Amino acid sequence: MADATKRETGLLKSSPVNVSKGLITIGSATVLLLIISGIFAPSSISPTSLSAMLPVASVLAIAGLGQMLVVQQGGIDLSVAGAMSLAVVIVTHVPDGNSGMLGPAVLLAIAFAIAAGIVNGLMIGGLGLNPIIATLGTNALLYGLNLAISGGRPRITTTLLASIGGGSTAGMPNAVFFALAALLLVAVFVKRTVAGRRFEVIGDNPRAARAMGLRVKLHQTSAYIWAQLLYCGAGILIAGITSQPIAYAGDTYLLPSVAVVVLGGTSLLGGRGFAIPTVIAAIFLQQLNQFVFSLGVSSAIQIIIQAAALAVGVSLYTVNWAAIWTALTRRTRAVTP
Amino acid sequence: MKPRTKLGTLAVAVAAVSLILSGCSSTGGGGSTAGGAVTHVKGAPSWCGTKKISLALLDGFGGNSWRLVTTASGKDEASKCPSVTKYLYADGQGNVQKAISDIKGMVSTGVNAMVVFPDAGQAILPALTTAYKAGVVTVPYRVFPGGKAGVNYDKWIGDDFANDGNNWAAWITKNVPNGGNILFLGGPAGNSQSVTEYNALRKGLSDKYTFIGETPFQPTNWDPTLTQQLLSADIAKYPKIDVIVSDFGPTLVSALPLFPKSGRSIPALATSDGNSLSCFWEDNHAANPDFKLMTVATGNDNVRLAVDYAVAKATGGEIPTADSFKGPIFEDSVSQQPHGVQCDKNLPGDVYLSAQMPGATQATLGK
Repeated sequence: MADATKRETGLLKSSPVNVSKGLITIGSATVLLLIISGIFAPSSISPTSLSAMLPVASVLAIAGLGQMLVVQQGGIDLSVAGAMSLAVVIVTHVPDGNSGMLGPAVLLAIAFAIAAGIVNGLMIGGLGLNPIIATLGTNALLYGLNLAISGGRPRITTTLLASIGGGSTAGMPNAVFFALAALLLVAVFVKRTVAGRRFEVIGDNPRAARAMGLRVKLHQTSAYIWAQLLYCGAGILIAGITSQPIAYAGDTYLLPSVAVVVLGGTSLLGGRGFAIPTVIAAIFLQQLNQFVFSLGVSSAIQIIIQAAALAVGVSLYTVNWAAIWTALTRRTRAVTP
Repeated sequence: MKPRTKLGTLAVAVAAVSLILSGCSSTGGGGSTAGGAVTHVKGAPSWCGTKKISLALLDGFGGNSWRLVTTASGKDEASKCPSVTKYLYADGQGNVQKAISDIKGMVSTGVNAMVVFPDAGQAILPALTTAYKAGVVTVPYRVFPGGKAGVNYDKWIGDDFANDGNNWAAWITKNVPNGGNILFLGGPAGNSQSVTEYNALRKGLSDKYTFIGETPFQPTNWDPTLTQQLLSADIAKYPKIDVIVSDFGPTLVSALPLFPKSGRSIPALATSDGNSLSCFWEDNHAANPDFKLMTVATGNDNVRLAVDYAVAKATGGEIPTADSFKGPIFEDSVSQQPHGVQCDKNLPGDVYLSAQMPGATQATLGK
């Protein structure tokens, strides 16, 4: 149980290049899943199936990237559901079918996202509140706003948003391009900018970072603001993909957004973030859904298969298999004369 | 301290006796008019008696457009009877505890009648029973709360979902006469509405029709995003889908374009109505030759019958004879009977033109 006692470096010791364990693990798991899909449920990797799977995976990837930034700071953000749902409601209710009003609606959604991020950031980074409690409170606040604006009733997506979010370019769903843009933004920011490097150092060891004179609270607060902006983007995309979304559309992304971060190899204790594996994990989870749908087994079996895949995925990081293997082989050697 | 203790004991005793007496005097919901002479307010519907009452409508979960229209319909129905002097509403917001305390709160404020959407089913039954025993006319509707009429509440006004299943089966037999593959998309796994509909469908269709996908139904949770994912998996898996049946039609709108995208026609659709779906049909039926559409009314007016019953019982009006709401057929793109497809592009997509309340009025709700 390496995770429980120390922060993982997440790097493959044997690899000559800088490849994360997460990338290898989730990458190979996804390839394996695609092969299994091809053998047992070929329809789940057909173009039709993929064209429906990828947009939802993109939404999950963007939300997962937001969650990853927060997890890197040793936090967790439960307001992802409220934030995404509020974005859905704002971009459908404010324009009310009028594409001309979409621009102002998106700006309004972004303004709310920044405000929510500041609230979370100040409570957790500034006042040192427990992130689970604080973000749960913010989630309730965001749902309150959601109901105040919409009465729980989103409108139909405008045609402009449906063509941007739900359309496709050169055969590839547009949502995928948005997810790639978010990935590029997060990856470049975290790995290639000074602020991003400081951000990771603080997440890895806030005390040492403070001793070095880094502004720990500011960086922790900023994680929640960036996360909210990404959730907002994910929410707008859902509105585009679904022509008549529900006012609670974000609810189904709460736990998967944490799952993709963990499957991507980022430690829940904070530290290094792995953006590319997080996005691949989103594809893995959605393809897993599509695979079990296509298998045609009952929904009870579907849930069991999904849970088993998650358990195996997480155990790859948290259980020290090498130590178990060594212990087992030693015992065998001791027994044999 | 002694005199005070005595006084306290006396007060408790008086309270206890009065409670016992009040318990004896009320033998259960709306006993006052049961079997009594039927009265009637002139110019009002026959179910509107002369006794002045206050009426409460309680929702287990009020947060979507369907509920918004339903709640407003209930209020509109009550306003037809001048004997209803006060109308109250409470929303349980999906929280069972709140729904229970809402019911008890309404009893203690002294309402004479209540119409309850028991979303949580059996969990609400004790609260309903308390209200009924306290002499409030208690009418749960749509979702079955368990228990018995006359013991736990006055009357349950259900929706005849088997009727919807029968209507779909008859339409499919007529319009896809050579048999074919049927895909049924229902609500959350195991929900009684979708199961009842499936049983009626299965019974009403001959062996020429095969149900594909999960039976009794593919559970969509009535969530449009999940519906989209499920349907895409189905389209990829089944090269031949002749009819899609769904008990919440508007959730299909974002998923149906996957058919033309994969080079196939949208198949025949038997479902419930919604403006977004009707307008989708209008825009797409020309390019999709197999796309016939039939809808049954989505049932916002179920609440009206429940209100009629509760008001009649509490005010002494004539009690309606119908004991469940039968959603009529609303649109049929083939026979145009009773209506052709009704799309109003000037109205939002989430209004239900099958409801008695005009679409334009529905559009102003929640603003």
